[in-house]
Amino acid sequence: MNLASLLSKDRVNLSLKPGKKDDVISDLVYSIRKGNDAALIVSTLLKREELGSTGIGKGIAIPHCRSLAVEKLEIAVGRTNKPINFNAIDKKPVSLIFLIIAPPQDPGNQYLITLGKIVQIAKEITKKNLIQKAKTPDEFIAMINEIEKSLTKRK
Amino acid sequence: MSDVVEMHLKLLFDLDNLIADTEEPSYKKMGFQLEEEASLVLVRKRNELLQQLPKEIAQIYEILKKRYRQAIAPVESEFCLGCFQKLPTELITRSQDITTCPNCGRILYWRKK
Ligand SMILES: [Zn+2]
Repeated sequence: MNLASLLSKDRVNLSLKPGKKDDVISDLVYSIRKGNDAALIVSTLLKREELGSTGIGKGIAIPHCRSLAVEKLEIAVGRTNKPINFNAIDKKPVSLIFLIIAPPQDPGNQYLITLGKIVQIAKEITKKNLIQKAKTPDEFIAMINEIEKSLTKRK
Repeated sequence: MSDVVEMHLKLLFDLDNLIADTEEPSYKKMGFQLEEEASLVLVRKRNELLQQLPKEIAQIYEILKKRYRQAIAPVESEFCLGCFQKLPTELITRSQDITTCPNCGRILYWRKK
């Protein structure tokens, strides 16, 4: 399963409004879900953040959870033009956020596999200094696709 | 089931899955921050949520969680996603009360369209 195929243009927001960490997470969730479903997802994501920030360092965060509110794996990307405080592992502010929400039932363990893949891709993005590179959502998805291919080849 | 009870049950279920994931070896290897003390706080929170549920629902939930790890199963096109059995038609027009799968016993959850 290819990651870029889980992403669509309308799920990539390259001008996400900067703000407090919780608000930014919430904005991103409400861009794909509404009402009680969104409230449930935000609550669960923030509980995950209580365990330790999902800011993995060098400007990228990957908030994630399983939730009864979704029926399939959903990914959304947000990028702020101004870095925000995410209490990241390296204390550096964050400007690229990958949001991943998975359904509770997940026989093929797609969730953890995809999450692991996004962690790898995020590390490539920081290594090659690509956080602000894509100018459009299409370019962003193409970039993810390329990184994903290069990682598969390496294996 | 009232909306408040339903929301509590969903919060509890999501939280239990979150706690379960943090115990997965493949998850631990990914390198996300996981503070031991904070996970105790989450366990306390889930116990609080459990206590806020009506007693009989809390009991069913705990029994099912022990048996299946996941006490709730979403319904998708008339199938219980816990045991993948088709649900009888009379269940599809669900009542106000908590509904369990006649085959596996899991608490059924219909997603809002
Ligand atoms: Zn069942």
